[in-house]
Amino acid sequence: MIVGSSAFGPIVLTGITQGQRAFPYLTTMVLVPVGVALLVALLPKGSTWAIRAAGMAGSLGVLGIAAAVLDQFQSGDGGYQMVSAHSWVAPFGLSWTLGVDGVSLFLVLMTAVLFPIALAGATERTNPKAFTVWVLLLEAGCIGSFLSLDLLLFFLFFETTLVPVYFIIGGWGHERRGYAATKFFVYTFAASAFMLVGILALVFIHQGQTGVTTFDIRQLANTHLSGTADVLLFCSFTAAFAVKAPIFPFHTWSPDAYGEAPAAGSVLLAGVMAKLGTYGIVRFDLGLFPHAVVVLAPLLLSLGVIGIIYGGIVAAVQRDLKRLVAYSSLAHLGFIVVGAFALTGEALSGSVLQMVNHGLYTTALFLLIAMIYRRRGTFSIPKLKGLQGSAPVMAGVFTVVMLASIGVPGLNGFVGEFLILAGTFLTHRWWAVVATAGIILAAVYLLWAYQQVFHGKQEPDGDEAPFAEMTWREGLVLAPLVGLIVFLGVYPQPLLQRITPSVDAIVLHLEQSAHPKIPLAGQPVTSTVAARLDPYPSAVTVSISSSSGSRRHTRTNVKGAK
Amino acid sequence: MSVHASWYLTLAALLFTIGAVGLLVRRNVLVMFMCVELMLNAANLTFVTFARALDDIGGQVAVFFVLVVAAAEVVVGLGIIVAIFRRKVGATADDAHMLKG
Amino acid sequence: MTGSTGVLGALAAHLLGAGGLVLPHLNYSTILPELILLGGMLVILAASALSPRPLPTEVYATATVGLGIASLIASLVLWRDVTSHGAFTAIARSIDVDGFAVFFLVVVSCILIVAPMFAAGYLRREGITGCEYYVLALISGSGAMFMASANDLILIFLGLEILSIPLYVLAGLDHRREASGEAAMKYFVLGAFSSAIFVYGIALTYGATGSTNLAEIGAFLSRNVITSNGVLLGGLALLLVGFAFKVAAVPFHMWTPDVYQGAPTPATGFMAAMAKAGGFAALLRVFVSTFPTLRTSWQPVVWVLAILTLVLGAVVAIVQNDVKRMLAYSSINHAGFVLLGLEAATARGIAGSLYYVFVYSLLVLGSFAVVAAVGGNGDADHDISRYRGLGRRRPVLAVGFAILLLAQAGAPFTTGFFSKFYVVEAAVAAHSYALAVIAMGSAGVAAFFYLRVVFVMFSDVGIAGASDVSRGGGEIARAGAVAAEVREQDATLLGGAGASAVATLVAPAYVAAPELAPEGTPSEPEVSVSPWVTTGLVLCVGATLVFGIWPQPLVDFAHQATLIF
Repeated sequence: MIVGSSAFGPIVLTGITQGQRAFPYLTTMVLVPVGVALLVALLPKGSTWAIRAAGMAGSLGVLGIAAAVLDQFQSGDGGYQMVSAHSWVAPFGLSWTLGVDGVSLFLVLMTAVLFPIALAGATERTNPKAFTVWVLLLEAGCIGSFLSLDLLLFFLFFETTLVPVYFIIGGWGHERRGYAATKFFVYTFAASAFMLVGILALVFIHQGQTGVTTFDIRQLANTHLSGTADVLLFCSFTAAFAVKAPIFPFHTWSPDAYGEAPAAGSVLLAGVMAKLGTYGIVRFDLGLFPHAVVVLAPLLLSLGVIGIIYGGIVAAVQRDLKRLVAYSSLAHLGFIVVGAFALTGEALSGSVLQMVNHGLYTTALFLLIAMIYRRRGTFSIPKLKGLQGSAPVMAGVFTVVMLASIGVPGLNGFVGEFLILAGTFLTHRWWAVVATAGIILAAVYLLWAYQQVFHGKQEPDGDEAPFAEMTWREGLVLAPLVGLIVFLGVYPQPLLQRITPSVDAIVLHLEQSAHPKIPLAGQPVTSTVAARLDPYPSAVTVSISSSSGSRRHTRTNVKGAK
Repeated sequence: MSVHASWYLTLAALLFTIGAVGLLVRRNVLVMFMCVELMLNAANLTFVTFARALDDIGGQVAVFFVLVVAAAEVVVGLGIIVAIFRRKVGATADDAHMLKG
Repeated sequence: MTGSTGVLGALAAHLLGAGGLVLPHLNYSTILPELILLGGMLVILAASALSPRPLPTEVYATATVGLGIASLIASLVLWRDVTSHGAFTAIARSIDVDGFAVFFLVVVSCILIVAPMFAAGYLRREGITGCEYYVLALISGSGAMFMASANDLILIFLGLEILSIPLYVLAGLDHRREASGEAAMKYFVLGAFSSAIFVYGIALTYGATGSTNLAEIGAFLSRNVITSNGVLLGGLALLLVGFAFKVAAVPFHMWTPDVYQGAPTPATGFMAAMAKAGGFAALLRVFVSTFPTLRTSWQPVVWVLAILTLVLGAVVAIVQNDVKRMLAYSSINHAGFVLLGLEAATARGIAGSLYYVFVYSLLVLGSFAVVAAVGGNGDADHDISRYRGLGRRRPVLAVGFAILLLAQAGAPFTTGFFSKFYVVEAAVAAHSYALAVIAMGSAGVAAFFYLRVVFVMFSDVGIAGASDVSRGGGEIARAGAVAAEVREQDATLLGGAGASAVATLVAPAYVAAPELAPEGTPSEPEVSVSPWVTTGLVLCVGATLVFGIWPQPLVDFAHQATLIF
């Protein structure tokens, strides 16, 4: 007995010193959907009700845990919280390291909110068992990706998400689903091939410098990279993220996938999966390759701005509602990319906030479109007319969501876009100006589509019944989304409070690594400081040797600030 | 009189080439077998030549192994051919055409 | 004594090279696994000849599984010796007892434990009586073991033949099917051809270095700096060609699809697993441990071989509609991944290759077992359309197959992911970035055709038209029309696609379309699975998942195996 207690003593002690919360919230959050998916897989095929209930309970359970994480999260702390680290495959250096910070916190929450909604809003009636299993596995993959602090673990989850999405599009999609699913899979898989090689190269460079084989991004962030290696690695990571997001010109799979996917598939693709790409950019590109980020920021900013304008123009000429939203997503993701590469605190905060916002209103838009499709059997804008007459509530909800998507003040889309543009304007004036034009474009195509679809007089062909009003069930599915859209538009403060410290830490790290001459140690981290960052590559004349000392210094400093 | 080792090696290389080319161009399975035998014997000749040149018994011992293996191969090969062509008239590889390759 | 050890005695004499027959000390325990297999094989053969009435195939299967387990235990005992005392050579230095060899002894034993289970179900269904399959499998397994532990090129050659000759016969095991005989003949002719090339390679290497013993060749090469000896390089090239034939590396792969398709399916699975295990064991040992000084000469060649193998295996598999043939091409793609580890030529690379071979063996055995079950009597039909709706008819079998295929594709949380990760990691560590990227890209292409089968299994006509508006009778007609249209596209696109790399990236999308076609769904083929096959599948799928989530023991095993080299 004594031996036992003395043997376990230190473990308990370290548990207490490392974190006050012993309960592994994050690990549970990843494993719950997997467990429920296995449970659902074992249920008999006929018991539709039980399957749906189990699926809903599982995803709501995740939401509950996410809410607990939000409750436990300490705002004002920019570091990773609730870290749980366990060695998994020691010879590879792979470890099960999960942690949450301001950047990932709300993405996880958004994921936890969107999955039950997608399940409830899913119109797929055939084979609910397989559908529920895939959706739950996808949820585990997405949450795992957002929480991983281990690059290889991230890659594992990142890849895991492909399989469920392939089957969701392929199994329940529209007519050209086989084509869309395959295109999606091959594109994203091929792109992540580069990332895996990049990850390994980074790890070996780090191993060469420190002798430690690890995939932990907190350690890898201190790797010294030569200019070329930095840029190449940055490109290999960005290839995967740019395809996943997607960023122009890597978007060609997305209109097909979004368009052909079933309603729940589009929601999850645009709402959650796209964020894996942009989150990857913020977490890994900005965190690991500060030099390359500064060098290549103008390029990525340009791609983002082109995406905004291109997405807007193409959306304006779409005659298919679903593809219209798909292209508008491209434009919105362009904003997120611009915010990420403006390299100021405001823009980056806005970018993270916009990821959440975009998830919410795009989901609502796709669900509304699915409701229209269920009634009329078409996405074609010219074939729909005057829906407002018989469905005023739906028209009202559509208006709110659409205005949020355009970025009207008072709704959530505005806050993110404003922060992005304001932050970008400080450092990259002309990009910000052009991007603003994208907002006007969004107003044009969305209002035009709204006018076509909802105004005018209904012309039911043949014996078609008049367009039915939103049902209670549909209203219940949309209610949380609309509530959040309005709430976050009016009062985004709670989010920003928690996002900003983490974003500032990222910006500080960037700045210190790319411009070690700016003496920042000891100063309070504010986003205005970031505005001084010189965006032009010609200014990057940092010699590796001189940056090494100060970079290490900065890291300790950031840690000390926690 | 002594013939320089390189002549034997050249002869072996020639035999090997004839065997290889024959196997690739001929279509009669029995001839193909013979070509394999030719190749194996070219290898044997090389072994013996080197054994002589290096003054090492190892190469000559290797020949025994190759001979034994060649015999075993032929036994199995002929068995397979007999099994296939019991139901057929000729023994050409082109008659075997059920599989795509 | 002399009688039973005549061959080895002669071998020893040749190795010692000291005129007169000096018999070496024979330490039987070092080749105990091989002896167990060969001895057991003789007992089975005798039992089948002496028993008054034909024994049921399950009896032989049980015996073979037992022998596999026995040799596994013997191998693990050797592993204990090796880990505690270090590597050593035995029987006149012709046998290497090291971690590397023992790893392959374990792999071969595992193959021999699982393969008979799959064969038993198949042979019972096909009404093929007799002990031939099991006897041939045991001989072949012992050959692979000799290849893995051989320390002499001649012994490798003997092992290669002991491995291959039974495989030729196994390919032709089903007398009633013409395709089986053809497969046997093709395999035999090309196998004999590659053996001849291999022997000639040995002869040239012998001439250049003065020995066939790997250790002596290595010592000779480290004493003498030889960079451009034509005879030696020629010998090396021929050895590589011989091995490339055996492991089906492009451009020496042309026999693979035909032989895999024609052979009885359990024999195909066994052949795929065993030939690769034996071939790669010898290939890795000869090139990495014996010819490291010539690395600059052979590494570029292996680089090219690996790229060709990876790309061709993946790309050609896409257009296959016959699942057996598709798996044949996919096995070529897998060979490319193992070559990745060889190209790296580091301890990490070798460990990756070992791990890959182990994982691949179980995956391929299980996959072909399912193919055998679905293919129907007499390997009637392996077209992908046969798999439609399997998820509904045999959900457990379909899920098992799906897991095996996803693992082959390298899906996370299966052994397949870590095997690919291991070799790619080694390639990156050796700075072969291009190769690593191409390998991962080919995995992406390969993932497509694995997923396609999975997709077909879980899609039905009913599910295929899962749109919300027009369910019911009209829908099937619509789905049919769409399918017909897509099929037309499919045909024209495929015709034009050819080998164009760009087209192959687009074409798969259209190839996927056929599953939309209802094809009138004729009578759905009956799929029967015997308890033997189920047991084997449970083992394969279980290992895939368990070691996929907890790969540490297997990774450690492979890693340690390369340390004691």
